[in-house]
Amino acid sequence: MNPSNLMKQLVALAILTSTAATVGLAATAVQAAPATKTIRVLSVAGVDAASPDAAIWKKAPAAQVALQPAFPGHGSIVGTPVAERLTAQVVRAGDRLFVKLAWNDRTANTAIKDTGQFVDGAAVQFPVNGKASTTPFMGDPVNAVNVWHWLANGHTENLVAKGFGTSTLVPFEGLKSTGVRTDSGWAVVLSRSLKVKSDEGASLQGKSTMPIAFAVWDGENQERDGLKAVTLEWWQLKF
Amino acid sequence: MSQRQLAYVFDLNKCIGCHTCTMACKQLWTNRDGREYMYWNNVETRPGKGYPKNWEQKGGGFKGGALQTDGKIPPKEDYGGVWEYNLEEVLLQGKGNQVVPHEKPTWGVNWDEDEGKGEFPNDHYFYLPRICNHCSNPACLAACPRKAIYKRPEDGLVVLDQERCKGYRYCVKACPYGKVYFNLQTQKSEKCIGCYPRVEKGVPPACVAQCVGKIRFVGYRDDKDGPIHKLVEQWKVALPLHAEYGTEPNVFYVPPMNTTPLVFEEDGRLGDKPRIPLADLEALFGPGTKQALETLGREMQKRREAKPSELTEILIGYTNKDRYRL
Repeated sequence: MNPSNLMKQLVALAILTSTAATVGLAATAVQAAPATKTIRVLSVAGVDAASPDAAIWKKAPAAQVALQPAFPGHGSIVGTPVAERLTAQVVRAGDRLFVKLAWNDRTANTAIKDTGQFVDGAAVQFPVNGKASTTPFMGDPVNAVNVWHWLANGHTENLVAKGFGTSTLVPFEGLKSTGVRTDSGWAVVLSRSLKVKSDEGASLQGKSTMPIAFAVWDGENQERDGLKAVTLEWWQLKF
Repeated sequence: MSQRQLAYVFDLNKCIGCHTCTMACKQLWTNRDGREYMYWNNVETRPGKGYPKNWEQKGGGFKGGALQTDGKIPPKEDYGGVWEYNLEEVLLQGKGNQVVPHEKPTWGVNWDEDEGKGEFPNDHYFYLPRICNHCSNPACLAACPRKAIYKRPEDGLVVLDQERCKGYRYCVKACPYGKVYFNLQTQKSEKCIGCYPRVEKGVPPACVAQCVGKIRFVGYRDDKDGPIHKLVEQWKVALPLHAEYGTEPNVFYVPPMNTTPLVFEEDGRLGDKPRIPLADLEALFGPGTKQALETLGREMQKRREAKPSELTEILIGYTNKDRYRL
């Protein structure tokens, strides 16, 4: 290895280490004090918010959420995700929670027709135990996370993860999604009943607050798995 | 860590390029359900671009022990189309007078077959049959964040768990041999499974068993009485393909004799230059090539002089028992 390559590797290592330290601190800070990043949930009765174009979304408070590259959980995951922010809105209508995400994405990648293609996607994540002390980086073996994953090919996945590389599909028909193209990208609504069985994901029944995290994948940039733009700390839903 | 490692030796001096291995594999595993474009076993002509096209330039593998992340996912056109012929229409129904493929082919698994290199009468080519190398240090396995790829402890075969796979294709990028494929129908990656259901019953993999030229030997690395150990460790005439990729492949090749047939000089007399440049073979099989070819030449010469040669006896592999030790 020539000295300049060695130098580059050392610099990269230093950056990684400092990122890890920052990440660790951020997680501790969240644990110690209530998160300041909050999204007010609009509670209504008998409204269908399933469509991103539904009238209720004009009334629901919108939060501007900054996104960063996810911490790479594996050596294969290289590259920089494209998305830098999204707009999040949340509505509780009857016994369902509706989350609307909107973000910029110039190209719609909706199908894998060739070996090198990937589809656009977005996801919200909740700690299964409802606590912000759960790591937002896919959870850990003791503290699971529940992910609602929208894919631009029309699929919606209900996932439970206990750490990097462990996300597992938990079929749950009650998780629905609708995605539409906007002038600048995508608008997607994910929704689910507040109450689920403990092995189906995170229960939202009777909560006054709930941590939530976000992720966006740009298929055009071959984003999948850990190559994604995310929130590096929990936001708080306030009901 | 695998307890045992199954390995193969392919004797390139015996390969006639008939593709029976390829057809055996295809019939058994890849003629359906999104695998149609895949050839877990392929036979390519060397020199040539191979399958997938230019796979030696796709990247992946290891450098200095570090997994390379710059590998490419070959596009479908580099594997080639899956075309069908209007055989029934033309030959049975009498419609039309020409048998043609249903799409315009632009590349295929044996697209540059027999082209080789050089000018007649001093041109050359040879066949290179390729399967998954069931590496001891598989880049595909190292690249998978989901641990969907594992080595079977009982035989070291590298297999891909379809339940765990999520189609991220880091393995496709990482395999420097282009031997992991993405199934567009299932949206998951797939690869050669070493015919493990056959191996478990003591039956050689289909590509091995069907080989017309009987070029393929299969057995365990630690079986000191088997042909693998004798050809790889003892005689050192069977060499890994692109060992510099760092994956420790378990398919070994007896390189093609590069000095025969003799080349012609300008005046038509026979010359003494090698027909295949040694450097070309070393680029594939590494620095052990020269010694391997010398050993092969020496032992073959013994045979011509009606003297005994243990090495040529092993390479002939008279019976299945001689070639397969499972």
